[in-house]
Amino acid sequence: MSEDRLIWFTGRECEHCKELRPIVAEFMDEYGVEIEELEVWHDERNANLLRKYGEDIAEACGGDLAVPSFYNEATGSALCGKVTKELLKLWADIE
Amino acid sequence: MKAGAWGEKLVWRCHICNDLHFGVEAPEVCPTCRARNAYVRVDTAEALALLGEPAGELNDVGKVISSWKVFCQGSDFGLTRNDEAVANLAKGVLENMRNHGLKYCPCRLTTMDREKDLLLICPCNFKAQRTWEEKGECWCGLFVRREK
Repeated sequence: MSEDRLIWFTGRECEHCKELRPIVAEFMDEYGVEIEELEVWHDERNANLLRKYGEDIAEACGGDLAVPSFYNEATGSALCGKVTKELLKLWADIE
Repeated sequence: MKAGAWGEKLVWRCHICNDLHFGVEAPEVCPTCRARNAYVRVDTAEALALLGEPAGELNDVGKVISSWKVFCQGSDFGLTRNDEAVANLAKGVLENMRNHGLKYCPCRLTTMDREKDLLLICPCNFKAQRTWEEKGECWCGLFVRREK
């Protein structure tokens, strides 16, 4: 079984992350997938993981490492900002 | 320290009132005592010693928001009208100050490259961001273009 995860990186005080939380929850319910939320400003391990995937995430974010951002460990695909469920579906590689 | 395209920034002291300035050049007129051509270079350690006891610290949410409001005065941008969001973001920059040493943007992340990370201090140069061009707001949605 693959250990690759679908991850979304968030910040505790990031407003867009807060707004996105119900959409991500709805998406997980609808498609039966797990997206692991990792907070980056209060957990250095999570911050370092975001930095590890930084090149792809920065490209998706327009240059900076930012939150909310999404990383698919299986495909290397990244999303950034206020995404829709349709975009999440493509990112999560769901048929 | 190098400051991007602007060259080497130095610390300057007004020899009349001890106002401090950090920049490539000294101001022609001291903004504190209005003396002209009054600045002399000082060492960073000397400047820090001159600062002495902390004064006017922005160490709570209300003070941070107040500094942002002053910053917006007379500009084509203001704070979002979502007061709850403003307070939450102010809390975020204070958390980052306490945990990471500077008031970094709570919606981005440091790279560990100091030069790059200095560009993340809130308020940042948000008009250079894609979100300003596309939506008229900073990445966090804190500073927004004023409606005409």
